[in-house]
Amino acid sequence: MTTASAGARPLGRLASFVLDDHRYVLLGTSVIAAMGMSLSSQPRPALSFLAGAYALEVVLYYLLVAWLVLAAVALAFKLARWKTYAQVSPFTQPTVARALRYGSYAVCGITAVLALDRLGMGIASAWQVAVTAETRPASTLESMLYMLYNSRAIFFSGFKTTVALAVFGTVIAFFLALLLVFLRIQVIDRSDNDFVRFWKVVGSGFARLYSTVVRGTPMMVQAMIIFFGVFALFKMTDLTTTQINAIWSTFTAGLVTIVLNSTAYMMEVLRGGIESVDTGQTEAARSLGLSQWEAMRKVVFPQGVKFAIPGLSNELVINIKDSSVLSVIGTFDLMFATTTVGGIYYAKFEAALVTSVIYLCLTMIASWLLGRLANRLNVKSVKLGSTSDQPVNVEEH
Amino acid sequence: MAMNDNTAVTAPAGDYMVRIEGLRKSFGDLEVLRDVNLEVAPGEVVTIIGASGSGKSTLLRCINLLETPDAGHVWFQGSDLTADHVDVNSLREDIGMVFQGFNLFNNMDVLANCTLAPVTRKKMSKGEAETVALEHLRSVGLADFAHAAPSTLSGGQKQRVAIARALCMRPKIMLFDEPTSALDPQIVGEVLEVMRGLASDGMTMVVVTHEMEFARTVSDRVVFMDKGVIAEQGDPEQIFTAPHHARTREFLSRYLKE
Repeated sequence: MTTASAGARPLGRLASFVLDDHRYVLLGTSVIAAMGMSLSSQPRPALSFLAGAYALEVVLYYLLVAWLVLAAVALAFKLARWKTYAQVSPFTQPTVARALRYGSYAVCGITAVLALDRLGMGIASAWQVAVTAETRPASTLESMLYMLYNSRAIFFSGFKTTVALAVFGTVIAFFLALLLVFLRIQVIDRSDNDFVRFWKVVGSGFARLYSTVVRGTPMMVQAMIIFFGVFALFKMTDLTTTQINAIWSTFTAGLVTIVLNSTAYMMEVLRGGIESVDTGQTEAARSLGLSQWEAMRKVVFPQGVKFAIPGLSNELVINIKDSSVLSVIGTFDLMFATTTVGGIYYAKFEAALVTSVIYLCLTMIASWLLGRLANRLNVKSVKLGSTSDQPVNVEEH
Repeated sequence: MAMNDNTAVTAPAGDYMVRIEGLRKSFGDLEVLRDVNLEVAPGEVVTIIGASGSGKSTLLRCINLLETPDAGHVWFQGSDLTADHVDVNSLREDIGMVFQGFNLFNNMDVLANCTLAPVTRKKMSKGEAETVALEHLRSVGLADFAHAAPSTLSGGQKQRVAIARALCMRPKIMLFDEPTSALDPQIVGEVLEVMRGLASDGMTMVVVTHEMEFARTVSDRVVFMDKGVIAEQGDPEQIFTAPHHARTREFLSRYLKE
């Protein structure tokens, strides 16, 4: 299986579903038709373009009704002729089936037009109301858009902080996790002298303790300890509070918290990846004379990191969301912005709704980008192995 | 791991490549090696045969210390590998090993598999190491596959690359741990052919195998292991035609019947 056909398959399946005549056409599009009818019975928003074409909408509505009637007739026929339906029903004739397929396109088209008129133009209308309103409108949607528009500077500033915290935090943590996992997986080698042995034991023990403590306490608490703890340390110097705040800002403290936290989790992910590399790889490297360190660095690590990529990239998504707890120390991230805006307009619920949409968009974009990255890294390995269709890994164990 | 005797003992005199004295190894309660003594002379080809679980692979893996013995000594050219703080890595450079599961480095192509150790350990330049590697790959008939990924090779090709990789370090002895057991019967021959060539070039070899024909025709000495001890050893013809030990007879009759 080549990568190209594997990638094209979902699209190909959808295309063939749409382009083929098949027996579920009435069942499926009846639901869509019913949705279109229900949209049509919603009140028209201010910007509705169908408002000026009332007659047209009536026609569209009754076309949908006609489709449902047709489907009902076909269903009745099916119930009456359960066994011989395929042979005797007029609905299964090839020409009729094709006509039904074109009819289903029309039904989907009508529903799409109605959705655009009611939902799309509905949001547009609400936006128009929101940007011109003097005070916060009562309707939830208009209220959300009103706050988003009027407090866009606050939201944007929080948004930037969240993205910066997540991206920088994850990248820095990745490199620290690489260092830490080296300490964690050290084992004593026969050729090591007592000094090396001592430091290997200390390093591995430290990594283990670090991981246990960090993963065993809430990030919110860690943020408070780090922020106020370091602040107290600075207090012992001659610096004034203003000077300390300039050096030890809430952003810096937040970033340090995320880095420390993420390092522990990424270390465990990396360890999992490294431990899943076949021990034969290490044995082969050692049998050639490579030291434990050389075998790790040249052979085991490159393979282990590759295994760990999905778990590592997930950490970015987690950091986007979990940075929200940093608002406890006053880091001006998206969550803090939300609380601020919600407080200004006294509309916490609507503010939270706005933010959840922003977070969702952010995490979806991040997942998509990381998925593409992982794909690119995997494509490389698939490409190398693509000359053969056989499961090549089977005999390696 | 606590060695029960890691005081440096002076090397025994004599012309040997590997000398094993009183070797013991247990995995938990299971005693795998019980007082094994064996000497391999330079240029000698020794095959170790025996039933599964008789300890032959463990014995082989003790020679380059992939397994740490619980007691006893493994001398390699005057150095005691079992002494504490011995520079195992340098000694392993001279002891090539070929595994049952090939263990080619999956993150490198064939050529890089062969040049990794010479560049890392022998401080060879990359170009020099590649020249040597291509020479060895040619000798196993795989020079055209220098830039192939290990996963694209057949089992027989993988094992030949593994042999070439070990030879790139110019080892003084080669250890083979069931090199053909993971291969389809029809491609066993190509690997055995390479091993025959090595033996006739005078390489010292210790081979753990179930290929009785190979043991009989290529080796200078056959060692039969049973339940963690060497039950019998001697000239291949003697072992295969007139074994002294009842267990050897039993084992061989089972094999030759198949």
